[in-house]
Amino acid sequence: MTSQVVTLGNRPEPSAPAVVPYKENWSEWLDRHSRQLFITPAIVMILIFAIFPTIASLIIAFSRIRLTGGGYTVRFVGFQNFYKQFVGNEQVHFLGKFTSMSGLGWFVSAIFIGTMLWWLYKALKQGTTVIGFIGRLITAAMVIGIALLLSATVLSGNQWGTLGTTLFFVFLGCAIQFFIGLGLAFVCSQPIRGRSFFRVVFFIPLMITPLGVGYAFRMIADTTKGPFAPAWQWIGLGNFAWSSDPWAARFFIVIGDSWQWIPFVFVIMLAALENISREQIEAGHVDGASSWQIFREITWPQIIPVAATVMLIRVIEAFKIVDLPNIMTSGGPGIATESMTLHAVFAWRANDYGQSAAVAYLLLFVTVVICSSFFNYVVLNQLRKK
Amino acid sequence: MFLKKAILGTLLAGAAAVFGVTAASAGPYDGVTVKIMTRPGKVIAQRIIDRGEEFSKATGAKIVVTEVPFAELFQKIQTDWSTGTNSIDVGVFASGWAVELAGAGLLEDLSPYVAKDTKLDVNDIAPYFREINQKIGGKTMLITIDGDFQMIYYRKDILEKAGLQPPKTWEDYLAVAKAIHGQDMNGDSKPDYGSCIFKKRNAQSYFAISTVAAGLVQSKGTGEGLFFDAKTMKPKINNEAWATAFRLYKATGEFGPPDELNHDIGDTRALVTSGRCGLVIDWGDIGPLSIEPDAKVIKDKMYAAINPGWKKVLDTATGKLVPCDAKSCPYAVDGVNYSPFGAFGGWAGAINAKSPAKVKQAAYDFLSYMNQAAQSNVDVTIGWTGYNAYRNSQLDNIDLWVKAGFSADAAKNYLGAIKSSLNNPNMSSDFRIPGAQQYTGVILDRELARYLAGEITVEEALKNIETGWEEVTEDFGRDKQRDLYKLSLGITN
Amino acid sequence: MTTLKHDIDKRTLMQRVFEPRRMGRMAPATAVIVYTVLILWAAFVIFPIYWVVITSFKLPIHVNAGPVYLPFIDFTPSLHAWNYLVVESFNDTARSYLNSIIISLCATALCVAIGSMAAYALARIEYKPRLGVILMFVALLAGAMAVVGLAGIDWRIVFAAAGALFFLLVRAIGNRFKRRLGNGDILFWIISQRILPPIVVIIPIYMMFQSVGLVDTHLGLILAYCVVNLPIVVWLMHDFFVTIPIDMEESAQLDGATRFAIFWEIVLPLTKPGLAATTLLVLILNWNEYLLAVFLSTSNAQTMPILVAAMNAGDRGILWWTMCVVIVVMIIPVIAMAVLLQRFIAKGVLLGAVKG
Repeated sequence: MTSQVVTLGNRPEPSAPAVVPYKENWSEWLDRHSRQLFITPAIVMILIFAIFPTIASLIIAFSRIRLTGGGYTVRFVGFQNFYKQFVGNEQVHFLGKFTSMSGLGWFVSAIFIGTMLWWLYKALKQGTTVIGFIGRLITAAMVIGIALLLSATVLSGNQWGTLGTTLFFVFLGCAIQFFIGLGLAFVCSQPIRGRSFFRVVFFIPLMITPLGVGYAFRMIADTTKGPFAPAWQWIGLGNFAWSSDPWAARFFIVIGDSWQWIPFVFVIMLAALENISREQIEAGHVDGASSWQIFREITWPQIIPVAATVMLIRVIEAFKIVDLPNIMTSGGPGIATESMTLHAVFAWRANDYGQSAAVAYLLLFVTVVICSSFFNYVVLNQLRKK
Repeated sequence: MFLKKAILGTLLAGAAAVFGVTAASAGPYDGVTVKIMTRPGKVIAQRIIDRGEEFSKATGAKIVVTEVPFAELFQKIQTDWSTGTNSIDVGVFASGWAVELAGAGLLEDLSPYVAKDTKLDVNDIAPYFREINQKIGGKTMLITIDGDFQMIYYRKDILEKAGLQPPKTWEDYLAVAKAIHGQDMNGDSKPDYGSCIFKKRNAQSYFAISTVAAGLVQSKGTGEGLFFDAKTMKPKINNEAWATAFRLYKATGEFGPPDELNHDIGDTRALVTSGRCGLVIDWGDIGPLSIEPDAKVIKDKMYAAINPGWKKVLDTATGKLVPCDAKSCPYAVDGVNYSPFGAFGGWAGAINAKSPAKVKQAAYDFLSYMNQAAQSNVDVTIGWTGYNAYRNSQLDNIDLWVKAGFSADAAKNYLGAIKSSLNNPNMSSDFRIPGAQQYTGVILDRELARYLAGEITVEEALKNIETGWEEVTEDFGRDKQRDLYKLSLGITN
Repeated sequence: MTTLKHDIDKRTLMQRVFEPRRMGRMAPATAVIVYTVLILWAAFVIFPIYWVVITSFKLPIHVNAGPVYLPFIDFTPSLHAWNYLVVESFNDTARSYLNSIIISLCATALCVAIGSMAAYALARIEYKPRLGVILMFVALLAGAMAVVGLAGIDWRIVFAAAGALFFLLVRAIGNRFKRRLGNGDILFWIISQRILPPIVVIIPIYMMFQSVGLVDTHLGLILAYCVVNLPIVVWLMHDFFVTIPIDMEESAQLDGATRFAIFWEIVLPLTKPGLAATTLLVLILNWNEYLLAVFLSTSNAQTMPILVAAMNAGDRGILWWTMCVVIVVMIIPVIAMAVLLQRFIAKGVLLGAVKG
């Protein structure tokens, strides 16, 4: 039941002994089956421990589950859990509030729609497979959908829901983490003194348990008893509470998230930078190229693949952001800092497993489309260029 | 792999040897282990551990206390019991949570145990806890170890200095808060706050708003119910009474700390104990907390009063507010309708129906031991236990409290406030029906938070709550919910 | 580099300030900027940690009444929180600590072993599973689970039947499916296992573990952690393996070495830095994991992160001081580990894709 992925792909090993039947010993047997043996443990474990719960939770997403004395009862409710998020009474919570769209909103959506249509047209013109085109269609539809959503909510002066908040955390957070992480890695790759010290120090935030980071930042950001309380008073913001202002609260959470995750980008980008051969850079210097030119022409192309992998992993993790908003603000003020995972957690704590799973699957859908678009159209492109 | 297993095995064996507890001496429950799950830390759990050791010495039963973070406690117990893991025999949690578990048939009916118990003296337990809080559908399902409901506390010294009376109505509360806001209350010459009420999302604001609203919504006694019309199970929420309560709750924020929207009860209590609040809503804990060494600034200064009332009440027929008179509010005192809110219900122990009989008996005996006057009358006077008074003998015996460190006057005031709350025939009951967490923790709490943050108007908030509640009710089945709601209010017909 | 070595610096002042005298050195202006950045960032990183550390020595009153910054000057440090955690509740703390160590070490070892083998295979061997068969497998699994969930038939029977049906179908019509997937698809499938928020799979995992008796055991948590982090190991290690020149492996193969021998004796030693970095990362993730730990452990296998959450005592507020002690205690072994592994990582190469 478990090894099919491997066995199905199995072709006769070219180097395998062809005819002579003889009794092989176990190490030869091992070697002959190494193809499968290498990958089977991982596939089997993922199949058993990940596929089963994934499908089970998909079933939950389409039903109402209740834990009872004898285990649980399942009542199938179709798309009701999803329907609720888009048009039912969770709409404002999930998507945001809509009124008429502002001029800016129309303008921005028009730009996005135009770009996507042009991109699709280009793909068609260059020739693409049917599946490839369907993939592009899905990507384009999602980009247009998100653009319309943001235009109708935040650009028109309305509140956005947990979807918008999640995207804000992901895109702003990952951008900040990437640029600062890369910048620090670049600085650290210079011939500096005390590099081991700086490396270990810069790496520390990643080691703290995410809950701990949440609490530490809650303590530090406290404007009445935190370390910066006197500073707040002094600049006349003694009566300003970041936690009561939606945007300030969102930015504080992004800061906390970045504090923890910049080290991740930093460490890996540093390794990538150090891998670049010095000769090329020296040659560039000798040719009289400026530092910026050297970075753009020599360094950047070489670190792109690593950068792409790092960002892919980072984006996937960022979509699941939950500890920081949960601990720092509990999603408040209002629903301003509630991410989709937190939305699912709140529903889950109230025993509303169906809705919780539905929100999680919507998150899965958004993440898969965005990540696979990123993977297919950015990472693979870069790898092809090499 | 074998090596790893061997190492693992050795380590585990070593750990077991180091931490294993040797068996206790002979007693009726030798060899019986009772596994209790509750929330972590000193509060609530530590006293169970201490009393557990005493109990094992006396009876031979081993009491093992497992602590789980508060946010995950209910889910943990529910999954453990309903999936048949049954690694827990006793859950100590909020009495309101038990309804859902009892509905699924997971709880042992303790009525026969109570009937046989000679030491418990069940009639000493205050009526609200005995009849409403411990019972589900007329059967005793829980044993109370902590009595919870909300009161208000005021700084007596500050109010006296300003020549103000303790608030009797919520309008008074606002006026007093306004009058004393900005004064220095703890001698650090920095302005302090008139009122501190936790308003953080997904925390305790649901309790506070219910406390504020109770006197406006419920006027016909406990059986009327605060949240639904007991006849139709229609939400009693989208009306002027709740709107007024919402507005007042938000208005108290003007006289509170600037980041009150992000304060949960822990933050509020930290401010209270450092003497920065003039008025607060809280459970009984503030009393014992105020005599702790950390709270020197407020020792014998924090006085309690019954939850303030209102001079108008809701007319359920029209959804409008009408002035209080003999007909509209039969229980009013001086024209003010009081309704103390039994918030949270207090920590109580429930027993897993599927545990072995001997374990259940031992577990019951232990819970009874915790509850008996000999033990609990000491425990409730100690601040760090987190236990609040729930027995009449605790409320009548001032010496107990003076011995614990109260001044006679403060003790008299504290116990007086508790007694007048508990004996109020119009005390309002917390949510005690299945889905309570969905009704309150998700829907009410979220809409309230959005209103407080200025995202929506009070009308929108109440409308959303009404729609949300109706959906949950439909989902669980209206008739079933109505019957359970009636039972939870003590209506038996 | 050598050309500039010993001449007298004839450059203009501007050049002297803004251009490095030679490679491997920084120009003074750059140095100023670089060190400013480094020190500022170090301060930004260290300050929260400093705050956590000093808070662990504060009395509640010092935390609640407003900020105090310097021990011995602003306030008198107190060991009460440390005393509570490491003396009064020594048993709980030590048990959780030991659990955390056992579970995260074993899970990391298992995960890195299995994951790097799979990553190596995906980097060197071409797999071509048939798409149709996979879809069939998933559909059957879903169907079987729906039957178990809705009809309430014993799960063992249903899954045995589904398994048998699957093998029959593969034999019968497996070859009809023409479309195959490649290694890239397998890789993406593996990483996609990390996308779903863990909260929704907790109950199914719990039920699964419960039915085989893995709840509250070390083995259960080890397996769960291993699976959760496999995708990261596979991805990071794959990127690394593809950059190792294949020549050495080919010549070893000609000499008759088995694949396992090649992997163990040639490939793994070459990837030490990557292995070290991946191990450290996975170790950190395992060490800090909270949600699975809360649900899959009750008391026997309770780990440290639960203690952090436990210090939020709900209606009694957060015990900042004790919580900070837990955070500090938790971070010490990880820093030790990082310093230990830093030797390997600092060699430079981590993700070899760069050399490609």
